[in-house]
Amino acid sequence: MQSDRRRLNPPPGGTAPPVFATVPDAKPQRPTRTRKPDEHRKLFLRTGIVPSASGSAYYEIPPQQQQQTGLLVPQRSSLKITCTVHGPRPLPRNAAFSPNLLLSAHVKFAPFATHNRRGYVRDASERDLGAHLETALRGVVIGERFPKSGCEVVLTILDGEEDGWGAGGTEVKGGGWGIMTVLAGCITAASAALVDAGIDCVDLISGGVAAVKYAGRHGGQEDGVVVLDPAPSEHDGEIMAACVVGYLQSRDEVTEMWMKGDAGTQVQTLIDEAVKAASLVRAVLAEAVKDGVQAKVGEAEDEAAMAGSAKEGKGKRRCSGIYEAGHLDDLLVRTPF
Amino acid sequence: MSSSAIALPGQDLGPVSSNTVGAGTHVYGDHLFASIAGPVHTTAPKPPSKAPPTLSITRPTGALLLPEVGTTVLGRITRTNARQANFSILALGSTGDVVLAEPLPAIIRQQDIRLTEIDKITVAGSFRVGDVVRAVVISLGDERAYFASTARDELGVVMAVSEGGNRMVPISWREFEEVGGTGKKEARKVAKVV
Repeated sequence: MQSDRRRLNPPPGGTAPPVFATVPDAKPQRPTRTRKPDEHRKLFLRTGIVPSASGSAYYEIPPQQQQQTGLLVPQRSSLKITCTVHGPRPLPRNAAFSPNLLLSAHVKFAPFATHNRRGYVRDASERDLGAHLETALRGVVIGERFPKSGCEVVLTILDGEEDGWGAGGTEVKGGGWGIMTVLAGCITAASAALVDAGIDCVDLISGGVAAVKYAGRHGGQEDGVVVLDPAPSEHDGEIMAACVVGYLQSRDEVTEMWMKGDAGTQVQTLIDEAVKAASLVRAVLAEAVKDGVQAKVGEAEDEAAMAGSAKEGKGKRRCSGIYEAGHLDDLLVRTPF
Repeated sequence: MSSSAIALPGQDLGPVSSNTVGAGTHVYGDHLFASIAGPVHTTAPKPPSKAPPTLSITRPTGALLLPEVGTTVLGRITRTNARQANFSILALGSTGDVVLAEPLPAIIRQQDIRLTEIDKITVAGSFRVGDVVRAVVISLGDERAYFASTARDELGVVMAVSEGGNRMVPISWREFEEVGGTGKKEARKVAKVV
């Protein structure tokens, strides 16, 4: 492979993450799913974090339980997504006249996001994610209100969910299910950022993911159990099929659906559970968007008041967003169940 | 005008029979829904009209993101030729309330500079490169530029700099005078100071 001459390259043979020897008496416990099959993990969502973009959002699924002491390897990965929206902005000069908004969505994993280091150039799975996301957003944006303009939605995944569980040197069985949860998160984050940018949308779109897993470990019974919001590290090697939907709750519409694997007789149940997951996520999304708008309205009122009254020295600038360190715990919004 | 709680996209605002669609809302079936997140405003129609009140939602950062037909804009002239003047739209609103993140290209054609005697007008005698103009958008135009017009009293050049580089002030509807320097007068299509 040709080396990238514009950057400082890693060693040509690749790098491997360190494998730590386990302390003999602290046996690493494989994480299992402790929540109910129809319970979603806690989410964190905040809008308005990038002042220079038209709209932005930060989405995170933090690790749900405390780490076991004595181990340096994180046992539960988390999902962290940043989304920025630029637009509506004028199209390039040689573009044809378009009576609707030209939406383009780009998804990129940061090189440090996954266990195996990713490259700087977008690969096929990232382009695939971008295509799915664009399909989801196309059904929700009212394009005819923005003629001759384009809008770019850029997502960066800072920490992607691992496909399996690699602590203690055990082999990762993989299967590529982590990307489904990532897409669900991307849809939700993009929706929050679009609303933050003030682009007309039909509804708040939320992403939900569900999976069919073997009832027992590795086979046994024929019918699987459908679970909501599968964390791949908890279900390593157990997932038979998974489905992601982009769902509009007020219209009861699905704008995007991606199903992988063989769900057997449970296709309809799988889709229904994914829609249910999306409904749970929407509650968090609505609250985060509302907080963001209220902060903006408050800022606008402050500015109007300051402009009206006499100016004294330098004006105060109230920063909203995740600049307040140490208060993240207060803002974890629990999904209702 | 009354404002109330914040609405989110997809929120039901009421049936179409008792509310008229305004900015930031859309109709689906026989109900009105919100399109953007923001405070909802109810505007009662003028007394002779019996139409239901208009519901609109304003964005916290400004009413518009893009100029529509009829929007007054502020911009700076970038290029002139015999038939038209090119300018880039920098802000929306007659006082530039909403500053655009990216300037939009626009054109004022020779026939749209003034209302009267449009065949005798010269573009060079109305605008110069670097002038700040107030214009109204008359059309979305083609893929390259919006079409704008200054054919009203309050539209035209707002700020201009003389050939010598000095500030100028308007003295009539078609002349600017240099402040300091030589005190020369230069011809422009001047916006009426309101």
